[in-house]
Amino acid sequence: MDRRDALAKMFSAKGVRVNTNRGEAYYEKLRETMEKRLNELRQTPAATKMDIHKALDAEGLSRRDFMKWASAITAMLMLPASFTPLVAEAAELMNRVPVIWIELQDCAGNSEAILRSDSPTIDELILETIDLEFNETLMAAAGHQAEAHLDEAMETFKGKYICVVEGSVPIGAGKEWCTIGAKAETFEEHLLRVAGNSAAVVAVGTCATFGGVPAASPNPTGAVGVQDIVKGKPIINIPACPANPANITGTIIHFVLTGQIPELDHLNRPKFAFGYRIHDNCERRAHFDAGEFVEEWGDEGAQNNWCLYKMGCKGPMTFNNCSIVRYNSGTNWPIGAGHGCIGCSEPQFWDKYAYERPMADANIKAPTGGVEKSVDEFGLGLLTAAGVGIAIHAAVSVAAGKKDEE
Amino acid sequence: MKPGYKKVKRMTAFMRINHWVVAICMVAAVVTGLYIGHPYYQTLIAEPAVDKYVMAWNRWVHLMAAIIFDVSSIIIAYLYFFSRFEKPILKILPTPKNVVEFFMVFLNLITFNRVKKFDSSHADSFNTVYFLIFHLLLAWMLFSGLQLYVHGLESGHSSIGDWWPAVLHLATDWTVPFTGGTYMDVRYWHHMSMYFIIVWVMFHIYYQVWRTIYWQEGDIAIVFGGSKFVKKD
Repeated sequence: MDRRDALAKMFSAKGVRVNTNRGEAYYEKLRETMEKRLNELRQTPAATKMDIHKALDAEGLSRRDFMKWASAITAMLMLPASFTPLVAEAAELMNRVPVIWIELQDCAGNSEAILRSDSPTIDELILETIDLEFNETLMAAAGHQAEAHLDEAMETFKGKYICVVEGSVPIGAGKEWCTIGAKAETFEEHLLRVAGNSAAVVAVGTCATFGGVPAASPNPTGAVGVQDIVKGKPIINIPACPANPANITGTIIHFVLTGQIPELDHLNRPKFAFGYRIHDNCERRAHFDAGEFVEEWGDEGAQNNWCLYKMGCKGPMTFNNCSIVRYNSGTNWPIGAGHGCIGCSEPQFWDKYAYERPMADANIKAPTGGVEKSVDEFGLGLLTAAGVGIAIHAAVSVAAGKKDEE
Repeated sequence: MKPGYKKVKRMTAFMRINHWVVAICMVAAVVTGLYIGHPYYQTLIAEPAVDKYVMAWNRWVHLMAAIIFDVSSIIIAYLYFFSRFEKPILKILPTPKNVVEFFMVFLNLITFNRVKKFDSSHADSFNTVYFLIFHLLLAWMLFSGLQLYVHGLESGHSSIGDWWPAVLHLATDWTVPFTGGTYMDVRYWHHMSMYFIIVWVMFHIYYQVWRTIYWQEGDIAIVFGGSKFVKKD
């Protein structure tokens, strides 16, 4: 979004609050919508032989584990507990929702985060059972075969599939460095073609949402996020580096349940996941309030799990549910592991959040452009200049000034 | 009073009280704000956390100073237009008279009081415009600060009701795209603007002292007693 658009949205920015109590009538209606939608899905043939129960059996997970997971997802989506059976049913019907997953300028880190854990969580298994029609990283097909399959999937599921995008879109001088297929389609053309026929676009990871690392200064390829390119389609952003599998699953389940996209904040992020500030749910928050900070890696404070604010933690400026959901089935998360938040789910995070210093010490381009200075260095320079100016004026006043006679 | 001089009232009691309240809040906000931006002193490690609460107290003082500032700013904004004493707006409008006065006062400053072709008994355009710059900086701190504050109210609730965060979003969300599109930019400019305000204060104090010394009309007394003294013609 360019500055002009952003300014136009000036008064339209929404708060992140999700109303979790909308009254009986609302939830009744929602339940009807969902039941209707799930019935429709049940009528359609399953696209893959894989379903969630097979996946669970293979991993030795019980139905009880599955139902526990379903109630956790219900809570995450901020639905009443009575919706749990519907969520479980949606998970069972995931193999009827076609997904086309394309990769653009990225490191495949979001795919890796989902696929490469040694004990897959149910979130990850769900993503294994979705009807994944196309994914460059995973599929066996290559070359013309892959192209043909993409075309076929797009035609068969026209207007029904979810287009998941991983990676940023280069549109600047370097866009010709990134092409796909024998026809040398640029990433922008590829994205527009695949997104064009989709029901909704899910941008996964910070590269796809805001340009991420490829868009970091000086942004040699002119990388932007999906929402800057694709217009006129519902777009859901699931940033973070990598995006949390729980949030991807939650969003897709929401789509399966309702056929609609979840409530979004002003950056098109689902509010159920990005409606929290890391800082406010952080297990080290009490140390922040107490003024107990880690001063250097491995010091007394670090050993006592004190607050990482002075090591540059950006939890106070970052909205995400990491501090609640964590990663890898709630095993741990960056702050739990002793490193501050780098704000990876916020726009321009690499330039404006990921430096490992408090904001006041960060080297950010001074307003004059060019020279990088910390705010405090610039400020002290400003104060010195003002002091010198005042001193000169005072000295000349004394030497050459004229006091009004009494 | 010295013979040959007359007393001119320049600030009402309210204006003087406001001035000093704002001055104290300013010092408090800078001292605590610098700590919030980069905690610059260590808390006593031996104390249990519950007894320290150092960051929380710094934030408490900062936010209290801010809200006093905010209320003061609203009153001052009102007085700009509706003061029964002197309406500052009348000195800011770029009328030919004000423009001439502005440059004459400026000329007086840069000629080290060798040229003084204006009536120094009343509030002049130069100083009023200078105060306007301060009030704009303060308004900016108010909006950007409240934007940073509302990040902590992401539940949409507050101790005084849901209307408060809603109003804050409505009134301050524009500061995000305005500063560059991220919450960090708002912080960055909130911090940077502090330095502009300190520079403003430095010159303000210098200039009032300078006037007192070179004009010999007791200008520094205005903010304490409300009056200065000018020669009878």
